[in-house]
Amino acid sequence: MHAPAFSIFSAISELFVTAGVLFVIRRNWTRRTFPFALFLSVSLFEGLVNVMYMANRASEAASTHAAASALPVGMKIAFAAHGLLSLLAYLVFVVLGVFAHQEQLRQRWFFRDRPAITWTFLVLWTISIGSGEVLFALRYLV
Amino acid sequence: MTPAVPTRARRLRAPLLVILWTLLAFEAAGGLLIFFARLAAGRTPGETLHVAAGLALTVVYAAYQWGHWFRVAPFRKSLDHALGLIAASSLALTQASGLWLGLEWWRTRSGGTGPAAYTPAVSAIHNVMSMFVLTFVGAHLGAVLWRDARARTPGR
Repeated sequence: MHAPAFSIFSAISELFVTAGVLFVIRRNWTRRTFPFALFLSVSLFEGLVNVMYMANRASEAASTHAAASALPVGMKIAFAAHGLLSLLAYLVFVVLGVFAHQEQLRQRWFFRDRPAITWTFLVLWTISIGSGEVLFALRYLV
Repeated sequence: MTPAVPTRARRLRAPLLVILWTLLAFEAAGGLLIFFARLAAGRTPGETLHVAAGLALTVVYAAYQWGHWFRVAPFRKSLDHALGLIAASSLALTQASGLWLGLEWWRTRSGGTGPAAYTPAVSAIHNVMSMFVLTFVGAHLGAVLWRDARARTPGR
């Protein structure tokens, strides 16, 4: 099936967003200045561009038109599960980033000081992004 | 001597805010359920309740935000205010798009034409802004409470 241009853009930009997330955490982990502007840019871009696009596709898939009803049920369930997981990963990233920024003002390193939280978040984020890329591949490349 | 109740603790227990939290939690849980069920199974469980509670949430939130703004105004260049502004804007957009979808729901329901055919773009805006509400309300409240906790225990 032919992939829409914005789907390709979104699938690629998710990787850049992930690079941004890893950069933010890596800076904090290595006790360097928290890149707040990058953190905010990544958060807003992810929400307003990628997640907005995903939500639009999900709304189309949930609608009653012919193209939507042709989607296999398994794919619809996978879309819905990916949507909920992405929401959770996004929410956790923003909240932890805000805490890390506040802690850094006191010369404390939130992600470094809490490795269990940091690694759990990274696993969650990886599954969220990975499942999105897998869905993209299954829908358009296989 | 009993210590004075901290102002923020008292504000967090204010009836209007408790009602707002309850409605917000109900709408978030219901919205997530509808999102999943609509996409996965083409069903919208609890749709009527979601619309009714959404209308109540609009009124309660407007009343809360009015008082909140006059307490914290003017806007300052600080993390709490920036997060609060994003949260408030997101909630306003969520409610506006929700009212639009509610109107489509009402038209379909009163016309007896089966399941509501929501406009995908408005539905997407409603979903994303709801996500922003949960994220930035959480971050806004978390930032304020974290700062308070640190102020109480400066050595930690």
